[in-house]
Amino acid sequence: MLWLFALIAGILFGLYYALAALGLNLIFGVMRMVNLAHGDVIMLGGFAAVLLFDRLGINPLITVLLVIPPSLLVGFVAYYLLGTRVQRSRDPEMMSLVMFFGVSQVVEALAVIGFGNNEASITSAVFGSKPFSIAGQGVPGAWLVSAGVGLAALILLFVYLYHTGLGRATRAIMSNADEARAVGVNPDRISAITFGIGVGLAAIAGIFSLFMIGGTTPSEGVGLTVTAFAVIVIGGLGSPMGTFLGGIVFGLALMFTQTYAPVWSGFAPFAILLVIMLVRPTGLMGRSVRSV
Amino acid sequence: MDDSPALRISGLTRSFGGLPALAGVDLELRRGEVVGLLGPNGSGKTTLINVISGVYRPTAGRVEVMGHDATGSAPEGLVRLGLNRTFQTPRPFRTLTLRENVSVALRHGRNPGQSEDEILQLCGLGGKGNLLAESLNSSEQKRLDLARALATGPDVLLVDELAAGMRHDELDGAAELLRGLAAAGRALLVVEHLMGFVRQVTHRVVVLNAGAAIFAGSLEEASQDPRVVEVFLGA
Amino acid sequence: MAQRPRRQLVSDALMVVLPPAGFFAASFFYNNQLLLLTMMVYVALAQGLNVIFGFTGYLPFGYVGFFGAGAYGTALSVHFLHVPILVAVLLGGVAGLLVAALLSPLLRLTGAYFAIASLAAAEALYYLVSNPQLTAVTNGPYGVNLASVYNSGAAFDAAVILVGIAMLCVVWVRRSHFGMSLRAIRADPLSARMAGVNVVRARTIAWLISASLAGLAGAIYAWAISVFYPEAVFDLSISVFAIVFALFGGVGTVLGPLLGAIVLYGVYNYIGVSQPQEFQLIYGVLIVLIVLFLPNGLLSIRLRRLRRGR
Repeated sequence: MLWLFALIAGILFGLYYALAALGLNLIFGVMRMVNLAHGDVIMLGGFAAVLLFDRLGINPLITVLLVIPPSLLVGFVAYYLLGTRVQRSRDPEMMSLVMFFGVSQVVEALAVIGFGNNEASITSAVFGSKPFSIAGQGVPGAWLVSAGVGLAALILLFVYLYHTGLGRATRAIMSNADEARAVGVNPDRISAITFGIGVGLAAIAGIFSLFMIGGTTPSEGVGLTVTAFAVIVIGGLGSPMGTFLGGIVFGLALMFTQTYAPVWSGFAPFAILLVIMLVRPTGLMGRSVRSV
Repeated sequence: MDDSPALRISGLTRSFGGLPALAGVDLELRRGEVVGLLGPNGSGKTTLINVISGVYRPTAGRVEVMGHDATGSAPEGLVRLGLNRTFQTPRPFRTLTLRENVSVALRHGRNPGQSEDEILQLCGLGGKGNLLAESLNSSEQKRLDLARALATGPDVLLVDELAAGMRHDELDGAAELLRGLAAAGRALLVVEHLMGFVRQVTHRVVVLNAGAAIFAGSLEEASQDPRVVEVFLGA
Repeated sequence: MAQRPRRQLVSDALMVVLPPAGFFAASFFYNNQLLLLTMMVYVALAQGLNVIFGFTGYLPFGYVGFFGAGAYGTALSVHFLHVPILVAVLLGGVAGLLVAALLSPLLRLTGAYFAIASLAAAEALYYLVSNPQLTAVTNGPYGVNLASVYNSGAAFDAAVILVGIAMLCVVWVRRSHFGMSLRAIRADPLSARMAGVNVVRARTIAWLISASLAGLAGAIYAWAISVFYPEAVFDLSISVFAIVFALFGGVGTVLGPLLGAIVLYGVYNYIGVSQPQEFQLIYGVLIVLIVLFLPNGLLSIRLRRLRRGR
């Protein structure tokens, strides 16, 4: 029943990967900027969870709540310090890309200096050491918790975007910034809030990366950014619903590769991204990314 | 000279997300002829030019340039067949000089046998060859678009609102330029809102409404046609 | 009128000849040949990146993929084809070219998507080359040994020639009609098509030139260091360096990337490479500062002053 295990694990990992990509997609949708430091924020989230657990014995689920305020603050400051200026430059898309590439390098370097170039992890036994049984397949509790947090984040983001005033303003900017400004929405304020939420989601994803991806190391950021990008490209940029789908597709593809061709599991995420970009560049749902 | 039309389009249709922007347009242009393309905003004039010039693929219908089937050809393929256009909002190469703007087209199009400076002179941009295109005002940029189009040696030229935004003293020169281009054997399709200019330049007009050609004939007849009057004055 | 083109021809020729001559001369005064060679490799990489990023606006984060392809192309040519090392180096350039040809569909993507897709391609290539299942071909994760063809003097001379080739490529792109078409495409792709330019072909040519330069750079680097692991020639920091050097000096210019590579790589080595993360930090900060305050590179300061002075 190898395939059944791959299927269940694929869906659980899919929900997690949706969480890992949600912030990147949200920021892109509102600001048309690809936050290349996204993976590095995930990495920092992982280190935060390890430090709080090791030093103070804080459960990773509590850490979820603890990382939110600093993330919002960092997102706010980063947007007003860097984002606003680059958005007014001559070529915001490319310039922001290059700039966040630099930010990503800075975060990675600081992480090496601060935490050392070692792997840090938490035992998955914090979420129970006995596997849970789903359809006869044994699944670690940590996977269930991570997938559950991913699902909760998706639902909360959906409620935020569709049932709150701020969320409606955010969607207005996503569809057309100029029109949104015309009806009195302040794009800078919304962008700053969105940036904060995006950073927060990445940090939360980082906490559970410890159980879903393995221990965290300072250099893992770039690979995580590419993975998150693959997920949102599969689902279609700018659409939160697409991120959910993209996560599931990615999770299933990864789990089936790991089950049936484990030596190719490092190769798979990047190959999947390339194939999707070339075969269906609009993603499963979303807008075109091709040039004229 | 050959009597076959320089441009023939038949049943040209283009939809965006199921909504038809062009619904089966037929049109013929002969060499030496200037045809005005009229219609209210949103009637499909620019869409028609975009489909003919290969910016959009037609959903259905056929485009023939100088007797060759050009349906669905890429813009650069149409340029090679002898068709070019200007843009309603001018799109020069902003970071290149005027001479370079024309030079690029001279290198890649069908050689019209004129130099960069001659073409710039013809379009009223003489002596400005070393300026950057971004330093031009919008009416000059439109003329630069025209110069770039002419540099590819077109037989068929689609001119999208050249006169809009021009000063009064520039209009006569522009009209004379377009008549001269036709007199030299080119076929011109001219989109324009200024009726005086249309009267001065065109031999006949086609009126579009809601993506369909509702009238073809002289401007005089058009002004008396009840369908045309209704479209322009509103029901 | 006739004076200007001739003077330009002379200055262009000097820009092609002087940099390699300078490196060659430097080898008599400075005895750390490997450092000079690596600097030359980075000059070639920065200029190669300049060809694609500076003239088309396409930024390949995965530029290192061609470098690695060149290194492995050379190694495989030596091990399996048993060709002379110079032929193997050329085949390294061909390897970069072939990978670029294979990836040329990526050019259909715009800005950020292209940048990230190229990064994914480089990572995929790394995982492919280092895959244990391919040990029989690439020696998988265990690396490559080229000790049988090691010749540090010849490798140095090859790098000198490479700098000349890189300068020639950029001068040609800068001055030629092809380069003018690229600038036109960058200014407005649709208008370029309306001027009759085959946009896809022009971008592809720039892409292939750029990749071949990186392939040759990787080939010569592999020859010079002789023993390496896959992660050493697919290290993303090689892309970072090339981008930083090119940006710092100014992309789209002939001299900018050259100066960027010499100045920044010189500083890097002057201070010492014992702590790579500190340089990563400095270069990261530098990228951010360049984007925010000097988006057109170091040379733009000089140009601005010249323009004001005139």
